[in-house]
Amino acid sequence: MSDVTTMAAALEAASVRRAFGSVQAVVNASLSVQPGSVTALIGPNGCGKTTLMLMLAGLLRPDGGEVRVGGISPGASPKAARTAVGWMPDVLGTWESLTCRETLATFARAYGLTPADADARAFSLLERVHLADLAEQPARVLSRGQKQRLSLARALVNDPPVLILDEPASGLDPRSRVELRDLVRQLGVEGKAVLVSSHVLAELDEMVDDAVFMSKGVTLGEAADAEVARARTRWRLVAVEGDLAGALARASRDFTVEQVPLGSAAVVSVADDADAAALVAVLVGDGIKVARIAPVGSALEQAYLTMETERR
Amino acid sequence: MTTTSQTPAPGAVPSASRWEPWRVSLSGVRLVAELELRQRVRSTKWKWALASVAVLIGGVTFLVWGATHALGSDSSGAPGDLVFGLVVFFVLFLGLVVSPTLSATSINGDVRDGTMAPLQATALSAADIVLGKLLASWAASLAFLVVALPFIVIAYFDGRMPALAMLTVMAVLALELLVVCAIGLGWSALTARTPASAVLTYTTVAVLVAVLPILFGLLSVTFTEEVEVTYSSREYIYYEGDYFEEPDPDDLPADAQQDAGGSYFVCRDYTYTENRPRTDRLWWLLAVNPYVIVADSAPSPATLDDNYYYGDEGILSGLKQAVREARVGPTASYDECDYELTYEEEQRRARIDALPPVWPWGLAAQALLAAGGVALGVRRLSVPYGKLPTGSRVA
Ligand SMILES: Nc1ncnc2c1ncn2[C@@H]1O[C@H](COP(=O)(O)OP(=O)(O)O)[C@@H](O)[C@H]1O
Ligand SMILES: [Mg+2]
Repeated sequence: MSDVTTMAAALEAASVRRAFGSVQAVVNASLSVQPGSVTALIGPNGCGKTTLMLMLAGLLRPDGGEVRVGGISPGASPKAARTAVGWMPDVLGTWESLTCRETLATFARAYGLTPADADARAFSLLERVHLADLAEQPARVLSRGQKQRLSLARALVNDPPVLILDEPASGLDPRSRVELRDLVRQLGVEGKAVLVSSHVLAELDEMVDDAVFMSKGVTLGEAADAEVARARTRWRLVAVEGDLAGALARASRDFTVEQVPLGSAAVVSVADDADAAALVAVLVGDGIKVARIAPVGSALEQAYLTMETERR
Repeated sequence: MTTTSQTPAPGAVPSASRWEPWRVSLSGVRLVAELELRQRVRSTKWKWALASVAVLIGGVTFLVWGATHALGSDSSGAPGDLVFGLVVFFVLFLGLVVSPTLSATSINGDVRDGTMAPLQATALSAADIVLGKLLASWAASLAFLVVALPFIVIAYFDGRMPALAMLTVMAVLALELLVVCAIGLGWSALTARTPASAVLTYTTVAVLVAVLPILFGLLSVTFTEEVEVTYSSREYIYYEGDYFEEPDPDDLPADAQQDAGGSYFVCRDYTYTENRPRTDRLWWLLAVNPYVIVADSAPSPATLDDNYYYGDEGILSGLKQAVREARVGPTASYDECDYELTYEEEQRRARIDALPPVWPWGLAAQALLAAGGVALGVRRLSVPYGKLPTGSRVA
């Protein structure tokens, strides 16, 4: 995981908590996002992701702990902290009778842009999220995925250094997901600090540098990081012929055999690509006909599922 | 890559941030008002609503005009004042009905639709949003007033009201609509559900318009005071005989007087103790009534007849006189003998004329209500939220 001490974090939370009446939504959450990096916030429904994000976006006051956005505390200067963040809510309401372009232009002006600048900005953002064709359509006719993209464009309207995206991938078709992933990556490359929550973990895998797991209002620190690291070393090996288990044992690898209809398969612990190549060479030398070798799947998903079982 | 090395001022005063939501920017208010109006103009059958209001007011004006001119051929000969008053009151009635629908769901409705939080997350302050919404709903209700204007003007030319009455009536009507809009805004900030805030806004208007006057009536019956009342009555003197005959001037009492027809009469005073309502202690219940405020603020026609205690001045001045009468309190003498005004009546009328007008007090009280509504709105929308209204999510 990235080194926290070398750079001022663009987004920081330390031991933040928040209750709604008797419901303790966030118990103890800490995270930090560096400029130019994308961090995932992962956890089951109701674990407090949205609540935490609201506190980071300067909309909700923490009961305790500290939040800093670009060094600014929302408690001390709410407006400065608010405007440093682009926040994409999990559900975006749209103004019934405004067109997409007008919606974005209105938000741009709400951040203090002149009408002319706001219009230009709205137009370029619509291009960026591939909604330019629908610019003059009322926002209410958009499909869920299109609304989601409009919502993302809205979060970018003030060109903020920090982005907080609450479940941006929900309701997107596969193509839009890929586009979203590319867009988020690109935002990271542009130097923005991005925090993104999602339950589509496979998608997150490819777009995030870092992950923060959350469970029952608590962000899981090193245990979760270790779990992700461990999950990243799990590769699946499929062989068409040969005694796979024996060969792996001879190669002194950690493995578990899986039942497959044809040939044999096993999940093996592999450090990285080079290690995988070395292993394949050894196995082939041992007379195993290796068909496939690849990471087991989403490391985040595996880590998440492991923690889920641990929790129960 | 941008590295933000900004640190907050060490002694950052939290109280400075407390007032941030109250900071108003002209451009922000305008933006929100524009947004609201654009939303509304496109989403409702706006033209139809205005057209039907025009037809309604036109119809009522015509009917009132016809009715008063058919009936009102009495001595005063000024049914036009009545027409003016009735049309103004009808416009006020419509305004009180329409305005709440424009503002009473403007905050909780947006929260429900999920359009509020993204706006709160921008550089706009809570005051910008609230004032923008207030301005928009006021502008929309002023559109109704503009539609009503031609009919008020027609009614005005039918009567003898001073020209100033037109201006004050329009201005006060506009202010009343602003007050109702602000009250609606306040309720929409206080309640999470839109039907609740609509009902509460109508209830508040009903309290001002009807409940307080009813309370005034009930309380004045309950809180009475024993007053010594003097009735002065006219007693005619007749000669006692077989036929009706002129009384002998020598037999007449010393204070006998002759009326216009030559008959003799005396004035006799009778004194009773009676329970009288202390309206002078309760009149303020009427002062916040929108109708009273409109009536009281309109200048009366100049042709007050000095020989009558009550002028015949149409509905606006009539209401104005009635409220001022209530402020002075119970009368201690009634003169049915002398048709001229007695000294006491003249005194009383002088007192009434000298009373400061009621409407500034009424409007001030309503302005407090309106300010309360706006303040509630700003508190409701200030972020970051400390305590959330129960049962509502931020987004
Ligand atoms: N405004 C609120 N009032 C009461 N309870 C709330 C409110 N917002 C969230 N909660 C509760 O807090 C918990 C965390 O919610 P949330 O942050 O939305 O979870 P997530 O986004 O991870 O699904 C849930 O149990 C939810 O019911
Ligand atoms: Mg959520």
